[in-house]
Amino acid sequence: MSRRFIVEPRGLAPWWLKLLIPIGSVIAAMILGGVFLVITGNDWIEVYQKMADAAFGSGRGFAETLVSATPLILTGVAAAIAFKMLVWNIGGEGQLIFGAVVAAGVGIWLADSTPQVIAIVAVVIAGAIGGAFWASLAAVPKVYLGTNEIITTLMLNFIALNFMQYLVLGSSSPWRDPEATQFPQGRPIVESGRIPEFFHRLDWGLFIAIGVAVIAWFVISKTRSGFEYRIVGDSFDAARYAGIKVPKKVLGTFLASGAAAGLAGSILVAGILGKMDPRSLDLGLGFTGIIVAALARLNPIAIIPVAILMGALNNAGPALQSIGVPSATVKILQGAILIFAVAGEFLISNRIHRPDPIAGEAKAEPEAQAA
Amino acid sequence: MPNADQSRTPPAVELRKIDKSFYGVLANADVDFNLARGEVHTLLGENGAGKSTLCSVMAGLYRPDSGEMLMDGEPIVLKSPKHALAAGIGMVYQHFRLVSNLTVAENLALGNPEVGLRLSQSELEAEARELGERYDFPVDPTARIWQLSVGQQQRVEILKLLYRDVRILILDEPTAVLTPQEGQALFRAMRTLADEGRSLIFVSHKLHEVKQVSDRVTVLREGRVVGNVDTADAEPRDLARMMVGKDLVLPTRAPNESIGEPVLVVDNLTVTDDRGLDAVDDLSITVNAGEVVGIAGVSGNGQRELAQGIVGLMKVTGGSVHLSGKDITGTSPLKSIKAGIAYVPQSRLGMGLAPGLDTEDNLALKQFREPPYSNGPMLSPKAFKAKGAELIEEFDVRGVRPGLPIRLLSGGNLQKALIAREVTQDHCVLIARSPTRGLDVGATAVVRDQILAERDRGVAVLLISEDLDELLALSDRLLVIYEGKIVGEMPASDATAERLGLLMSGHTEEQSA
Repeated sequence: MSRRFIVEPRGLAPWWLKLLIPIGSVIAAMILGGVFLVITGNDWIEVYQKMADAAFGSGRGFAETLVSATPLILTGVAAAIAFKMLVWNIGGEGQLIFGAVVAAGVGIWLADSTPQVIAIVAVVIAGAIGGAFWASLAAVPKVYLGTNEIITTLMLNFIALNFMQYLVLGSSSPWRDPEATQFPQGRPIVESGRIPEFFHRLDWGLFIAIGVAVIAWFVISKTRSGFEYRIVGDSFDAARYAGIKVPKKVLGTFLASGAAAGLAGSILVAGILGKMDPRSLDLGLGFTGIIVAALARLNPIAIIPVAILMGALNNAGPALQSIGVPSATVKILQGAILIFAVAGEFLISNRIHRPDPIAGEAKAEPEAQAA
Repeated sequence: MPNADQSRTPPAVELRKIDKSFYGVLANADVDFNLARGEVHTLLGENGAGKSTLCSVMAGLYRPDSGEMLMDGEPIVLKSPKHALAAGIGMVYQHFRLVSNLTVAENLALGNPEVGLRLSQSELEAEARELGERYDFPVDPTARIWQLSVGQQQRVEILKLLYRDVRILILDEPTAVLTPQEGQALFRAMRTLADEGRSLIFVSHKLHEVKQVSDRVTVLREGRVVGNVDTADAEPRDLARMMVGKDLVLPTRAPNESIGEPVLVVDNLTVTDDRGLDAVDDLSITVNAGEVVGIAGVSGNGQRELAQGIVGLMKVTGGSVHLSGKDITGTSPLKSIKAGIAYVPQSRLGMGLAPGLDTEDNLALKQFREPPYSNGPMLSPKAFKAKGAELIEEFDVRGVRPGLPIRLLSGGNLQKALIAREVTQDHCVLIARSPTRGLDVGATAVVRDQILAERDRGVAVLLISEDLDELLALSDRLLVIYEGKIVGEMPASDATAERLGLLMSGHTEEQSA
């Protein structure tokens, strides 16, 4: 029974630790990745230089990084706001895809003459509604019947993915481009519905994403509704006691989470893709959003830099191939960062120390109410 | 010691000078205890008297800080519950330890070293059936645990121990979850087991059960043994007095002469609990303005459901609740807050406070919807700070730091914060459950003063507690709840701990007279 270390929940983690853990996770992951690179016979310094160069080395490189980061900010926010309320929405993937389906549908249906502002707003909002709808398929049964959202959201991801592929590859639906002769393609949305680019391939969608993250932070920390959200996220029983309608709050959060993921889909469709392109939408952006949220410790503002870091890694992948290193290396790095960050989370919320020789073992709580 | 044959056979279990404390709080102090072979021995005591701790020591779950334990006269140091089982001691905990997706037979096999790698379902089932029949404890061995009632699950727990052929069974408040009929069946089985030469420890605070089933009683109070008697010689009255203590500090407070109009009127209220039982059964109470009405009762007799039914946290299945003449039956928690019901729940961190939020946030937990805490949809951080600082100062809540989760404050400070919030909102009724439970002397005094101040302000106070000291010190009128019904009512001047203790244990006035 004697243990050499005692692990204890920590009250208030010092601010520097909260910053140190994510940064340390990245460094630790890079060291681990470096070991892997050396073992596989690569010059790890060269690889990291190449990656840094591709992601941040030039204006265009950095713009590409931000292009990759844009949907990750949104899927990151989607995961963070749900997880903070202990709603395990891992369906960001499916909600993004279904958002893209609805956004593309609206974008195709709109007349060419639609004024640009209206068209863009319509397409973008349509994606949010689509994402929220897809989330509702898991949210409503969870709230009213107690189904496990981890399973339902995960399975809905596959349904959304196959549905999207069917719309383009397996049918002659309006989503399929009749003019694509060789390989089936999504039909381009109306030109006025496209979000304009302002630098290289970077469009204003980036600012929509940043705006959503800032709004999420603002609502959670500054509004009455956000206070209710924080109470529910802390304790369902205390929330009920304080007169908050917990099921309604959980439902609302789940739908908002789906809307954020759906927005990522519509911004891709209205932005760089211009159409519902099944291959470009099936990149695991929803799942990477979970990594982003975890690294950002579910803080919406921290999601922005973390998403940019993840975007940089994604962006650096193809560049590695030019020096003969598999682009999947960045996936290893992303995974390693997540593992270190999750492990580090334990250090933020717990304190590890040597046993106190006087107090001895403070293990079991007295069963005061039982005795 | 009454047992004359003790010189011949050593007791099955003997404890000598057992001390056990948690975080500096003594749960057991200098406890001597012995359990003879073939007897049913009751451990009697109030909540927090140290009964469960003592049982857990004997079951190998806790190790005593000092003292020794002997089995059949031989010293033994139990390393774990597994070790205790191997030595022949098993315990049925209040919260069952069964795997709900497995069958009864599979649960019996779990953790049994004799089962080994080969598992014969049919053999197991036959054995389980045979065991059940022998003790008149029929359970379908092929049923899965989740399909069984609580009473049947308890039988499985007992069978699990018999399957391991334990000689000593510890039953921690086994009747708390049983219907009276199930309780009778349990008592019959307990007698059979004792007649076979096994020894049983029965934990209870219900006096009539003690008389019915046990041979001997050891009474614990505040962690110490205060009595050991043969049940045959024990008067319920004496046991009750031993249990609650003779040296009660009687209240020194001015009686309230300005009792006003009825404010909270509960008529024939019925509240059904999670198990589908009527936890509050056709119960009526009236609380007047400027009056503290105390409800005494042993935990689990409907107190939680009564409080939660009134404030709308549990569904009311019958009867009505009126607040100053207005029907609020089946209200919602939000409506009850707005109607002016302040509520101090028993579980501070489990319900009354959001443990991960800081003190300022918790002080605004109910009033955040209104100015100054919020303006329309926006919060006012300034108000959170200012009001928070004001209440923290006024109610002397210590250890507060901005951003520090409130759960890290001590019990007394948690309760001061909770009470501060509840009594500073607009209210005409205060419902408080065991408000001083687990508090030190200083915090207890603050909380009691607040409750009396509430009364003097004209608030109708419903004090639901298991602590007789607290009830006698604060109440103007006392009611006793037993199995969801009010079984006695008296003005505070006529109340004694003894009389309340008997009523709380299910003895009616006529029986005890």
